[in-house]
Amino acid sequence: MKTGRLARLEGLGILCGFAAGAWLGAAEAPTKLVVVGLAPVVVSLAMVVGVFFARWTIPALIHGTASIGADLRRTPHLVVWAILAGCLWAVANTLTVYAIRDIGLSIAFPLWNSNSLLGILWGVVFFNELRGAGRSRWLGVLGGAALMFGGATLLALASAAAAGSAGSGGNPRHGIAAALMAGMLWGTMYIPYRKAYLTGMNPLSFVTFFTVGELGMMSILALAVTGGGSALWHELELARPALFWLLVGGFIWVVGDLLQQFAAKYAGISRGIPLSNTNQLWGLAWGILVFGELHGIGGAGYARVIGGSLLMALGAGAIAFASASEREHEWWRVAAERESQRYGIDPAWVQARLLGDAAGPGPRQRRPLDWLFLVVATLVFGAAALVARAPAIRVAWVWVGVLAVALVILLFAAGIRLWRDTEFS
Amino acid sequence: MTPRGSWWRAMLGDVHFWVPVAVLVLGLLVLRWVR
Repeated sequence: MKTGRLARLEGLGILCGFAAGAWLGAAEAPTKLVVVGLAPVVVSLAMVVGVFFARWTIPALIHGTASIGADLRRTPHLVVWAILAGCLWAVANTLTVYAIRDIGLSIAFPLWNSNSLLGILWGVVFFNELRGAGRSRWLGVLGGAALMFGGATLLALASAAAAGSAGSGGNPRHGIAAALMAGMLWGTMYIPYRKAYLTGMNPLSFVTFFTVGELGMMSILALAVTGGGSALWHELELARPALFWLLVGGFIWVVGDLLQQFAAKYAGISRGIPLSNTNQLWGLAWGILVFGELHGIGGAGYARVIGGSLLMALGAGAIAFASASEREHEWWRVAAERESQRYGIDPAWVQARLLGDAAGPGPRQRRPLDWLFLVVATLVFGAAALVARAPAIRVAWVWVGVLAVALVILLFAAGIRLWRDTEFS
Repeated sequence: MTPRGSWWRAMLGDVHFWVPVAVLVLGLLVLRWVR
């Protein structure tokens, strides 16, 4: 195993983790324009539809569906894993709606944000992450995750105080169970992520199948919650003027999620996932700067925001600097070998993929199917834009510009390195 | 190398597979309870 190459790829994974946080945080912004008066499950479903189209077009644009087909033939079992991960995501996302209803965001958020701690546990137990890492790296990752957890709690308290979200007197036992379960589902979702990348699957292929589970499970849940097909259709009709913004939110989310997938592949879940959880910081920045939220929260509120942001930044920094040692990389290789043996995959191919070497059809192979995906997605987004209503909310466009520039810079920084070092492998 | 077609068996014998499945089932039960 080429240690220098792995160290460079881990640095790339950490960069992807930070960029993922920025894009996942920005995905909330379009939804803030429209969610008033809509059923939460419909908001989720509409976003997932946007996610679905984005997840079928972006990979088709970058690598072409031929590359996805090649991954499918080499590692067919990972399709099941990806669909399973999509189902986990959809159930977790729906549970958060009920958690907020019953106990409010300030209590619910820290409970489900424990997902990164569970992700670290699974990374250590199942995939040899942090094995042979030494005390300082353990301290960096665990201490960093704990700092981020504390920071996230302070930010959630400040957000909830501003939104007046203290829970509407629902059943607290239900709310706590829903929030903890959402964290458990999201934390466990990282098992399929890591499994896929240790077995050589390309993140672009993984997300393509992930979205099948995500949209399928979300549709079933939306049907169950709204009370059937005609009731759901009625809710979607009501949401029609807002659909475009929700689709855009889903699209932005996919860019963040793709970066998170590359972070999980190259930095491991114990480091990549906490870093992408900086999305809360970015979501708050959009809320404060663009939508003028948190006005009049008082000195204690601002202290929470500043303290929480600093703690999150410190935690993320600690994790970013606790890079894997040569010995730990050796343990990653052992975990990858185990997967090759179990599923009968050529170890040389898996090792090449772990080192970010592009394998299979070249990135420039495009088929008519790829262009068909692009045309269909463009038509759907275009049709939604035609019936979209301009948001009535006040928006600070200067800050939209500043944050958008930051997003583009991070995307280009990560994208160029991903292309140069791995050709998005 | 595992013979082609037996990846199902390999997956069903993999404890890593059953952890997310169990958590998903638990999640659906909790969702049913809190609704």
